[in-house]
Amino acid sequence: MHTIRRASPLLIFLLVLTGITSAQTRPPLQVVPPDREFATSDEHYAYLLEKANGGTTHTWETIPRWDGLWNTAGNNHMDLFIDGSLRGGTVKEGVLTPAYEAAYKERWRQQMEDGEVGYDRLTHCEPAGLPRWLLEPYNHEFINMPHQSYLINDFANSIRRVYIGKEHTNLPEMIGTHSWYGDTVGFWDNNKLIMHTKYLFPADFTRWSPMTSNQFELVETWELKNEGTEDAWLDVQVTMYDRHAFVNPLNAVYTFRPSPELEEIGYRVQHWECEQSSNSYLDANGKTNFYLPGDEGYKDARGTTLFPELRGQTRDPFSEVE
Amino acid sequence: MNKYSNMKSAIFILAAVAMCQKAVAHHSFSMFDKDTEMVITGTVDQWAFNNPHAWLYVDVTDDSGETVQWGFEGAAPPSLIRRGITGRTFKAGDTITVMFCPLADGRPGGAMAWAKLADGSYVSPNDGGCRGGADSISKWEQWLEQGITSSRDAASQ
Repeated sequence: MHTIRRASPLLIFLLVLTGITSAQTRPPLQVVPPDREFATSDEHYAYLLEKANGGTTHTWETIPRWDGLWNTAGNNHMDLFIDGSLRGGTVKEGVLTPAYEAAYKERWRQQMEDGEVGYDRLTHCEPAGLPRWLLEPYNHEFINMPHQSYLINDFANSIRRVYIGKEHTNLPEMIGTHSWYGDTVGFWDNNKLIMHTKYLFPADFTRWSPMTSNQFELVETWELKNEGTEDAWLDVQVTMYDRHAFVNPLNAVYTFRPSPELEEIGYRVQHWECEQSSNSYLDANGKTNFYLPGDEGYKDARGTTLFPELRGQTRDPFSEVE
Repeated sequence: MNKYSNMKSAIFILAAVAMCQKAVAHHSFSMFDKDTEMVITGTVDQWAFNNPHAWLYVDVTDDSGETVQWGFEGAAPPSLIRRGITGRTFKAGDTITVMFCPLADGRPGGAMAWAKLADGSYVSPNDGGCRGGADSISKWEQWLEQGITSSRDAASQ
């Protein structure tokens, strides 16, 4: 049965903190679960492909375009894991497998008792990975082509490539390992992009959310809603499978909004990384901390290369003396 | 710029901040003592307007004449640009006042909430490590007139 479930208003309010970007109205966070249950993500994806009669073949003229800059605009994944308020709620039992539930309860204890989970794996600028990529801030760009889509977050320039009309491959002689964004294949069902992702590294939803395993897989349906209006948004319906972490597959919705305000002022997405610009580290107490100037390990984001004696070797050209 | 127009600027900027606040960031904020607010005045050494977070380095000279450099974390450049804060907002040599939540381990650093620039205007480059806002600026203007530089001192009075 095709049912629609609304996220609780309180959870939506708190999750606004994870991604609100402008004065635009918030997209409705409505989960649209699949019309039947599937044992695996492969089965789910194959069902959708068959239902779409093999998918829509788009040309350069007909391919849906999601041009411009985008920002995360809310999601409801915490509905899946927490009963009650995010300020005082409790971990739902029986959603995660016992080991993952226990691990999550420790994270949630820190969140409730300390007000923060002490350590975030992104401290070391690990890529966001999936599912976290779906909600991390910074800027997104979505480039659709008939044969491939690029889904980009400039958070350390994470790029998901969606191979349209292809089969998964993770051949030992080619890659043979999991990765932060895995292998994604997809097809178009008219204006909806259906995607299937496998072979992912263990990751998490956020530092205050559950962890996922190397068996985490997801089927996504991306659709541009209210196209051509000021209230346009990208609606991403996600079914998540993880035989190590989840008792049953989970459904959530993530959203993105255009960022015309950044485009209007001429903002450009640039490559950035953490090697030269981040001073966060895991300290002896198991928490994220910072190196300050003078500390061993401190990195001067605007300093020089290994060749300071040469003119023009700083990373702060505005401050250079001619 | 008089006090009233300063406040109007602050309210405008902070209202904009409220609409575009991001609090995920790429790390935990547990290293900051969010229950304590402090204010210092010093000279800008460097404004590292870099991803994943901008950092402001300020040289502060104490009563004994010793100068210590403080480091303050702010939000990411894309978020700051929406608030009108750019790579030119803080200039080396400028005298500024910063309100921040200090590092819990006592080292000279913290999460900045807001800053009063050399021209008297306010900006709020904060991320999730310290709460700013027009109310905070208003409260602190009164405290600063009384010579208070820490919320702990204010609480003890």
